[in-house]
Amino acid sequence: MLRFLARRLLFAAVSVAAVVLFTFLLVHLAPGEPMLGSAEGARVAPAVLARQRALFGLDRPLPEQLARYAANLLHGRLGQSFVLHRPVADVIGAALGPTLLLGGVALLVSLLVGVAVGAAQAARPRSATDTLLGVGTLVLYSVPVFWLGLMLLLVFGQALHWLPVAGMTDPAIHDALSPLGRVVDVARHLVLPAASLALVQAAAFARFQRSTLLESLGGEFIRAARAKGLPERWVLLRHALRGALAPTLTLAGLSVPYFLAGSVLVESIFGWPGLGRVTYDAIFARDYNVIVGTALVAGVLVALGNLLADLAVAAADPRVRLDR
Amino acid sequence: MLLAVPLALAACAERPSPSAAAVRRNTMVIVTTGDADVLLPPVTSVTTGINVSDLIFCRLAELKLGLNTVDDSGYRPVLARSWDHPDSLTIVFHLDPRARWQDGAPVTAADVAYTFRVYTDTAVNSPLAPFLGQIASVTARDSLTAVFRFRRWYPDQLYDATYQMRILPRHLLDTIPDARLATSAFARAPVGGGDGPYRFVSWEPGAQITLAADTSWFLGRPGIARLIWRVTPELTTAVSQLLAGEADAMELIPSRAQLERAQASTRVRLVPYPSPFYAAVVFNLRRPLFQSRDLRRALAMAVDRTVVVRSVFGPWADVAVGATSPMQWIWSDSLRQLPYDPAAAGRALDALGWRRAAPGGTRRKNGTPLAFTLLVPTSSPPRQQAAVIMQAELRRIGVAMRIEPLEFTVMDGRSQAGDFDAVFVSRTIDPSPSSLLQFWSAGAASNVGGYDDPAFQALTAAAARARTRAAAAPLWRQALERLNTDAAAIFLFSPRNEAAIAGRFRDVTIRPDSWIATLPSWRVAPPGGSPGALATGGARAAAGR
Repeated sequence: MLRFLARRLLFAAVSVAAVVLFTFLLVHLAPGEPMLGSAEGARVAPAVLARQRALFGLDRPLPEQLARYAANLLHGRLGQSFVLHRPVADVIGAALGPTLLLGGVALLVSLLVGVAVGAAQAARPRSATDTLLGVGTLVLYSVPVFWLGLMLLLVFGQALHWLPVAGMTDPAIHDALSPLGRVVDVARHLVLPAASLALVQAAAFARFQRSTLLESLGGEFIRAARAKGLPERWVLLRHALRGALAPTLTLAGLSVPYFLAGSVLVESIFGWPGLGRVTYDAIFARDYNVIVGTALVAGVLVALGNLLADLAVAAADPRVRLDR
Repeated sequence: MLLAVPLALAACAERPSPSAAAVRRNTMVIVTTGDADVLLPPVTSVTTGINVSDLIFCRLAELKLGLNTVDDSGYRPVLARSWDHPDSLTIVFHLDPRARWQDGAPVTAADVAYTFRVYTDTAVNSPLAPFLGQIASVTARDSLTAVFRFRRWYPDQLYDATYQMRILPRHLLDTIPDARLATSAFARAPVGGGDGPYRFVSWEPGAQITLAADTSWFLGRPGIARLIWRVTPELTTAVSQLLAGEADAMELIPSRAQLERAQASTRVRLVPYPSPFYAAVVFNLRRPLFQSRDLRRALAMAVDRTVVVRSVFGPWADVAVGATSPMQWIWSDSLRQLPYDPAAAGRALDALGWRRAAPGGTRRKNGTPLAFTLLVPTSSPPRQQAAVIMQAELRRIGVAMRIEPLEFTVMDGRSQAGDFDAVFVSRTIDPSPSSLLQFWSAGAASNVGGYDDPAFQALTAAAARARTRAAAAPLWRQALERLNTDAAAIFLFSPRNEAAIAGRFRDVTIRPDSWIATLPSWRVAPPGGSPGALATGGARAAAGR
């Protein structure tokens, strides 16, 4: 187990380092002036621009900039945002919590919904329920996240007024609410963005879960369980699903990049103050340090997601040995 | 079960207590598509940061709604109770003794002198520093008298002395090295350090910024108790927040479809005000093709700008009369412009030797096709749509225009480097007509097309020396007409700004260069009160054109 963890952590560190290096080179080689921001018509005098570039070392050769960045990174420093005039660690730190909340809830919901729908389909293959759910998941899987988000927002937020349109809290009265009221306030604001992220991925999980479960249901051990006279529900949930869950959990681990990428769109649509929005703004403003910093954090999250998925698979299926 | 959770949360919609309802009613939630950078006026450069800090920090004097930048009568006192001009190179400001910092310290002339030093210190690297280049010094004669000395006389002296700087609290900042001001804690949370109508309360990065009215502000208590800037990057969502009653105001809605949504709503009113923008296709006059004035004129005459504007914006924009907008006092709809005359354009191209081998084909001269590339920012759908219409119109007279959509920073980099044939720019102009020089005078950094015309230079130089508005206006207008006649660019449109304001706010007036400049005088209608005064606000704003 320990050997497995050490090997995976080493592999994760190398992967993250490669991501940082690639992102650093890509953003620095891409055209565009980082000191102009994204606001057109900003009248920045050339002398002001030159001083600003010198202040951040952007007038130095690229290898020197890379060496400085790497040295700072090894000391735990991610640099300063050109646009926000704040340490990148602070910028990311403030945005990470909302993203983990949104992504975590969306991942959990999509997994629960996906597994439940997939199991319901596999329990009665080629039935009307299976067909209906199959069509439903296919439609959801085909829907772009941003479109789904906008539709949910327009219907449940603007038209029906059931849920807030955007943001993470009620701006006017959140601070005046009781602690429980604040939790409910955040939860209400979370529903639409989390649903936008979760529904599409839930459809993917459901389709995957259905096929793995059907394969599992054809196994020898299932025939043996049925021969023992176990109830069909018991056979499905206790025996077939346990074995068929492992690939879905692996898929869940691999879907962390989807949730991170999806959060860029969903956080922008719903005004959710997370890492996706920070990344989006930084890319358009050419805020190099923030872009590389967010890539670093995303790399770490993806590596962690994969590691957790491996551990979850081992817990779900005793046949899996991590040391191998 | 999973469906029950969101439904239960939906049912948990808060039923605000009477006090919470009152708090909500006296709060204006302003939806904005971008967060602030910092809240320190010398270094903030994004719209939200500027808007928020404008309400925390005051100027010595403010322009009135008419935006008359030349005469003293165009300004109203703020921190300075009065001012005088002892000679042509000096303005003496007499500070209002009632003015206080929010921590109770008096606002003094030493603060004014300190502010000038900070704005002009290269270590601070303020983007506003170049606009203060004509001010030689600012000194404190006594605690309430600040003396500005200028390098030369010009009509906009008072404008530069008041408009470019917001006064800073020396007693809170002078222990911080100038180079570190932008990254200081004060720049993100100027608690107690303002002298304006609103106090800083909190800033949640990426989410919201909250200000509270300074009830003891020396010029009178603001009418709205609390202001919250809510960051919502997606425009559709931002407008949905307005329509759902989650937000109360938006500076402007830059999309025809979203404007039409807001217009159909009963929750918000659209308040029109003159726009400080114009958009133009600028030709690169360093390129041999565009060195021909007659060719540029032919291209300009081939584009039906009215069709372009109506197709893209409907009623929400005007055809630009030149390098100005209705916000400036030099604007006039009687400015001479090149007519739409594709037949004359075709004849002019024929005369220049650009001929069509076959009807419908591209013109050629010595085997070279008459073709060029237009850079368009991907961030601006209206400009992309306008470019497509222009492309079709130019094709009709045998000109091949290729559209190259680019991300803004890339487009801006190429236009600054002169690496383009033509570029579709949007210009934000100042109230002062001297902003014409920043974009069109020879050698100016923002003169991306390299326009250099001695007659234009002479006219603008004379206009900038004129002592009165009456004397200056005809000269500025002649300069604008010269630019139109030379066809250094095709001036296409000037959007009509429409602020969206919730119905319960009244006495709404808008100064075109800064929509929140008059916000301290806005009021909240009593519950059940009529929002009718909003219409007056719109009319007042229009009168300021």
